[in-house]
Amino acid sequence: MSLRLSTAPHIRSIETTKRLMADVIIALMPAALIGIYYFGPNAALLVGLSAFTAVLTEYLWQKAAKKPVCIGDLSALVTGLLLGLNLPPTAPWWLAVFGSFLAIALVKQLFGGLGHNFMNPALTSRAILLASWPVRMTSFVMPTYFAPVEAVASATPLGGLPASTLELFLGTIPGTIGEVCKAAILLGLLYLLIRGTVYPHVPTIFLFVTALLGWALGTNGGFTFDGDPLAAILSGGVMFGAVFMATDYATSPMTKKGQVIFAAGCGLILSVIRAYSKLPEGATYAILLMNIATPLIDKYIKPTVYGSQKAVKGVKANA
Amino acid sequence: MQKLHEGKLPTKDKPVREFIPDTVCILMGMHLGAPSKPCVEKGEYVKLGQLIGEPVGALGLPVHASVSGEVLDVSLKQQMVAEPAMCVTIKNDYKDEWADNLKGLGDVETVDPSLIVPAIKAAGICGMGGACFPTHIKFAMREGQYCDTIILNGAECETYLTSDHRLMLENPERIVNGLRAAMRAMGVERGVIAVEDNKPDAIESMKKAAEGRLGVEVAALKTKYPQGAEKQIIESITNRQVPRQGLPIDAHVIVLNVGTAAAISDAVSFGRPVVSRITTVTGCVKSPDNLRLRIGTSFHDAIEACGGYSETPGKLAAGGSMTGICVASDEVSMTKATNGIVVYNLEDAKSFDEGLCIRCGRCANVCPTGLRPYLMKPYCDANDLAKAEKYDVMDCIVCGSCSFICPARLWLTASFKNTKEKILLERKRRSGK
Repeated sequence: MSLRLSTAPHIRSIETTKRLMADVIIALMPAALIGIYYFGPNAALLVGLSAFTAVLTEYLWQKAAKKPVCIGDLSALVTGLLLGLNLPPTAPWWLAVFGSFLAIALVKQLFGGLGHNFMNPALTSRAILLASWPVRMTSFVMPTYFAPVEAVASATPLGGLPASTLELFLGTIPGTIGEVCKAAILLGLLYLLIRGTVYPHVPTIFLFVTALLGWALGTNGGFTFDGDPLAAILSGGVMFGAVFMATDYATSPMTKKGQVIFAAGCGLILSVIRAYSKLPEGATYAILLMNIATPLIDKYIKPTVYGSQKAVKGVKANA
Repeated sequence: MQKLHEGKLPTKDKPVREFIPDTVCILMGMHLGAPSKPCVEKGEYVKLGQLIGEPVGALGLPVHASVSGEVLDVSLKQQMVAEPAMCVTIKNDYKDEWADNLKGLGDVETVDPSLIVPAIKAAGICGMGGACFPTHIKFAMREGQYCDTIILNGAECETYLTSDHRLMLENPERIVNGLRAAMRAMGVERGVIAVEDNKPDAIESMKKAAEGRLGVEVAALKTKYPQGAEKQIIESITNRQVPRQGLPIDAHVIVLNVGTAAAISDAVSFGRPVVSRITTVTGCVKSPDNLRLRIGTSFHDAIEACGGYSETPGKLAAGGSMTGICVASDEVSMTKATNGIVVYNLEDAKSFDEGLCIRCGRCANVCPTGLRPYLMKPYCDANDLAKAEKYDVMDCIVCGSCSFICPARLWLTASFKNTKEKILLERKRRSGK
């Protein structure tokens, strides 16, 4: 009889990296399917190409670098899907391919791969595309529902298009493929919460701060307290960002306290961008800026060690 | 802290069954501290409870025969610890005749309090929750120290184990007697029996036994791992924290396992040393059970007493699955601290590679000590002891929570345990210069 020797614990939780990533992919499905249904074949092509390129890039990179190939952990697939869903439905196919390549090669692997990137790969790549092809990245159209009519270029609600709360919620508005249907995104969030993949406080606080400041800063950024808080969180990419981008493990703080600060910071920067800058939407930059602030948050926001002076003092009083 | 799959179902309703083996192989170094010195020779006849090992050093403890019969061997044998260790093997004659010189002190409520601690030492009692720290040392106060609360740990937060649970159901009065003896020895007015709320029947049983006993209360704890860790249970009961690198007595508390309390009761009332204990034998055995085993029973005999292996065993551990210690073969014998023998099949014993940290923060979130395992691990792996210490690795209680939850399957706890040992060794080396 040969027995294996190992240090405890002898059992492990069923949660693995792969399972967490698979959960995110499942949670993305409602938003992806609705987006494709709304915007038609080009949307499907973009999401598919983006996902494929991400996985292929990771595979080739790891092969070339003679590192173990880790595409099986599904993290590259998640990045690819996230980028694809963040493209406007009218984007050309090469934008998806190039963006996806950037996300994996430049933002993720160059910094050491899974867990080592300090900015969200999909979001960073989107920001680069936005700066490089500003027109192509902001050419939004009304959803076509597979209708044979020629897609008509249109402003988004944040760009001045009037839309009702229900339209915002169901996503019958122009926008990127994945961000338009808030109902689908919330369905994904519900799944993630049930599975325990993400903690509820990050999306909740992000959205709460956005709603609060959206209301307080009003329509012209003058603390008029007449803004529509619902419209603030149902417009643009904030819902998608709060659920799928701000909850990214690698680029958000490690402690719950730190995550609260992170989420509140996202909401704050987003609202400031919306109210005071020329950009119509700020979700991307808000989250990226807080990604950059994450190492700082992690440095100063740390749990109190059991029995440390601070913790002991309080109890000595009643001892 | 987190909820775990408990794995207690197969044995929690099984009454304790006595199992007496043909031979016992009693380890001289069961307890923390120097191994005892054998004081019997090959061929000698020993009675049950007779002294066979004399205490050595400050943390020494006497060892007693757990069966009556002929001493077959006094020699070095491969046991749970890495190096072969001194053992006394006794062939059981099944007479179970107690040694003559064992005299009890009588009722715990009337006995002279100053005689209690010497009786505890003479009975060879050490922490029966798993640590095997000599119990009488816990009662020795230094200048300025005092104790105002004694906590009996009946949390049994470890997975798979039900030995304390059964003891609380079947012998609650022994536990309460032991607690009262400890309270009287220390002049303490508050004694708390702390049980996790997943054992309502044990709470009920202990409450009944504690009725009318001076200063004894029963507390229900939330079922969360590691609720039964010494520092965590102190905080749950007294709302105090043990200072870093400190001992429970620095928070004016002594924590004893419920099994230890039962042993104290036997030592004080009947003068009987520790010769047996309840051990949960579970996992891949045909009929998992709670056995009352003589100290020194081999794992093999205990597993055979439960119908043998149900599958090819891949791993064998003493203790539950969060902190259990692996043994290299089933020939080793159980000690006073063996609260469980868990058999894992080949599938569960399979090794796996570490993945990459995805910075999910789960490890920091579950750490009961408020550490940041994700930060400590790279320094521990790089053997950077100074940095590892800076990030508080010495405060790690090695509970296994972070390793358990890690989705990247990192060997966090193993790394910290290793590093702590290295740092202690380094300190010893430096102070020796």
